[in-house]
Amino acid sequence: MQSGAIPDAGGLSRRGLLTSIAVIAAVPLLDACGSPKEKGAGTTSEGDLSKALPAYAPSDLVKPDIPVVAGANGASTDPAFLAYPANPVRTVTGAVGAGGTYVTMTPLWGAIPPSSGNAYYDAVNKALGATLKLQPADGNTYADLLPPLFAADKLPDWIDVPSWTTTKLNFGEAVRTKFADLTPYLAGDKVKQYPNLAALSTNAWVSGVWNGKLYGLPIYSSNAVIAGAYFYRKDIFDKAGVSADVTSIADLEAIGKALTNAAAGQWAFDDLFGNDAGYICQIFGFPSQGYPWTTDSGGKLQHRYETDGIVEALNWHAKMVKAGYLHPDAVANNSQNAKQRFWSGKVAVCADGTGAWNGDDAKSGAAANPSYNRQAFKLFSAKGDKPTIQLGNGASMYSYLNKKLNDGQIKELLAIANYLAAPYGSAEWLTVNFGTAGTHHTMTAGNPLLTEQGSKEIATTFQFLACPASASTVQSGAVQVVKDAAAWQADLVKHTVKPLFYGMNVSEPAQFASLGQPMMDTITDVKLGRKPISAWTEAVTTWRKQGGDDLRKFYDGIREKFGTGK
Amino acid sequence: MTTGGTATKPDAPPRPAPAATVTQRRWRIRLLRDRSLLLMTLPAVVLLAVFAYVPMLGLVTAFQSYDIYSGFWHSPLTGLDNFQRLLDDPIFWHALSNTLVISAVQLVLYFPVPIALALVFNEVVNARLRSFVQSVVYLPHFFSWVLVVTVFQEMLGGAGALNTMLRRHGWATWDIMTDPDAFKYLVTAQAVWKEAGWGVIVFLAALAAIDQSLYEAAAADGAGRWRRLWHITLPGMRGVIVLMLVLRLGNALTVGFEQMLVQRQAVGRDASEVLDTFAYYYGVVNNNFSYGAAAGLFKGVLSLILVLAANKLAHAFGEDGLYRK
Repeated sequence: MQSGAIPDAGGLSRRGLLTSIAVIAAVPLLDACGSPKEKGAGTTSEGDLSKALPAYAPSDLVKPDIPVVAGANGASTDPAFLAYPANPVRTVTGAVGAGGTYVTMTPLWGAIPPSSGNAYYDAVNKALGATLKLQPADGNTYADLLPPLFAADKLPDWIDVPSWTTTKLNFGEAVRTKFADLTPYLAGDKVKQYPNLAALSTNAWVSGVWNGKLYGLPIYSSNAVIAGAYFYRKDIFDKAGVSADVTSIADLEAIGKALTNAAAGQWAFDDLFGNDAGYICQIFGFPSQGYPWTTDSGGKLQHRYETDGIVEALNWHAKMVKAGYLHPDAVANNSQNAKQRFWSGKVAVCADGTGAWNGDDAKSGAAANPSYNRQAFKLFSAKGDKPTIQLGNGASMYSYLNKKLNDGQIKELLAIANYLAAPYGSAEWLTVNFGTAGTHHTMTAGNPLLTEQGSKEIATTFQFLACPASASTVQSGAVQVVKDAAAWQADLVKHTVKPLFYGMNVSEPAQFASLGQPMMDTITDVKLGRKPISAWTEAVTTWRKQGGDDLRKFYDGIREKFGTGK
Repeated sequence: MTTGGTATKPDAPPRPAPAATVTQRRWRIRLLRDRSLLLMTLPAVVLLAVFAYVPMLGLVTAFQSYDIYSGFWHSPLTGLDNFQRLLDDPIFWHALSNTLVISAVQLVLYFPVPIALALVFNEVVNARLRSFVQSVVYLPHFFSWVLVVTVFQEMLGGAGALNTMLRRHGWATWDIMTDPDAFKYLVTAQAVWKEAGWGVIVFLAALAAIDQSLYEAAAADGAGRWRRLWHITLPGMRGVIVLMLVLRLGNALTVGFEQMLVQRQAVGRDASEVLDTFAYYYGVVNNNFSYGAAAGLFKGVLSLILVLAANKLAHAFGEDGLYRK
């Protein structure tokens, strides 16, 4: 509906108000839309970056069962373990903390465990020799929780800040006033006082550097971070005699036809697009949300919204919807029950984060369907040519220490971080992740398994403050899942590319924040076939006019001054 | 109230006293007389002050370029910039138009339902049956919108009970939940299902207040069921109906934030964007608090005008409306 459809009263008051505004606006109080701010751009030139980064001293105390495979452009697979070492090594000797008490805050996706009388918290705190008062908060609303905390300056001593919230927090600016500069403690060889932190790869630290200084400790770092993957139910494919050897969208379409039987309540696909085209960009070869810029043939910066790839992707997805290959709930863009749909076999192909492929998933799937078998398609491109995928940041969360802490407190917390970062296979890791033997876990078939008390009291809490690099490990006894995922990842890392501005922590000025919302709304409308593709091209034109072109200029400036991080 | 009017009251002070003292003494007497009533309203007044009036100070952000780190005191003032942007924003006008359309549909299709239900309950003589049916229709009020929408999705959605049945028989399906054109009726149906039973309470109270002897007298005069309904029941409820209507109009621009939020993805922005979701997506989500506050303030002012106009209308029809004139 156009604004012309507004009732008369609205039009009148609009005109009246505009007149009065015109009078007042004659006195310019402030130029709200000035040029992009120079200060607090957040980013760092390459030279300054190398000065702030900690040295890398890999540890060989624990050897993975499936060794790390190096890939393209700095990517490498995660170490994979098929069983917990029978005699876990100690990586930390002597006292850890100095008896301090600190308040912490971390996001948590899942039930929040009891805080008082929690034997797991007590056991880990005892091992740390300090008291960390854990305050896990709902991960789904964490991004909304942070801005008021930052504004009111009520930050805890140690806090986890996911990278996807930093734009909202104007973090490049906030970090200098709120958080402790860790460069003097960790840069270069200084990190070697904390061997478990030194064992985190250089790439893991890059996005913890703001304005030329190191602030963040990387959480679940990995050199194989990608936006997600396309998963399929191998058991359903095998039963129907359908090949999972997908090398183009034509192959995928054939699968859609073969595996959709709506009358039997069976659809081939769940949503294949992802929020803001987060997943489908890997098939159609346009940039992801995190690093949306690429260059056109003339070397000019081009935003992902302006690419041909996203147009092709929208057209193709709408075609799949029209053909009826998508589950109706996916057409309603309901993603909450996507996992249940996949587990129960109502859909055979879905797009999800790589973290979805694990032992607990195998257990949940088998509960719905005993033959459940999740596998991922090898990376492919729409036209069947050589596929590529953007490498994500070395970590997607960092934890930060409060600026108000003194030197001794910072050292104590870094020593604690060193303990929490003990690698998989160590004695410390077992305590941090599985609590006390006998009480919280038992060793079953060579792997730790939570007891009833363990599942009640243990949640991912300490790990979101500091942890070792990601490892692929056995959950719920599913050894084969680790083997399959590791083999898939070894193929994947051959195709990774670093996007423009990789790891540079560019803080965009606030005026650009609202540009994305109309685009995401339009993507949803077009990908589901509610609106024609012309709605998208119109939206892109509006986007350019309302700030997209200015945003490009801003990034031109960054490119000139700081480079592109490649 | 004028002093002239009260001077004729029996408890008025003697005439010779000077005017100022008269008002003071009258004020003190009335305070003394109504002290228990005033004390009783105190908690409500405090709650209102703390949770409604104090937060209103935050409206100052609508006139600022508010930045969370600078706070209210240091954020630069921008005058009416935010409002100008708002009025130039086609998405905002679209949201306003959606709000008004949904509100109008709800007024026509939702508002009469609790009244009709109250009348039906009033006619049910069997007390046990009545309380059973009442409990059943009250219950959905306590469901969250997420749950209500899920129930509708399971019943009417593309993979829901209805469409699964249609599909099994080889008939054409209709996914009501993702049909943008049907959305205004869908949300109204959901509102009826969830809130109509709860809305009955106030009308039942109005019915209970009607003098039963009127019915007896009318029955003795030979008035049938419909005549009694028309001449006794409905006139007896008129005050409450008008009051509820005034309140409804005051809330005309509030058509359910969660309900729209939960279903936004299913039908798209064009069908589901209302003023509240607009303020959320273009204000809160992007940290553009000033813009959101401007949209909220605009809505608030419009609502105030609506409620005052409706109240005036009520007075014109000889009803109390929100307060007695």
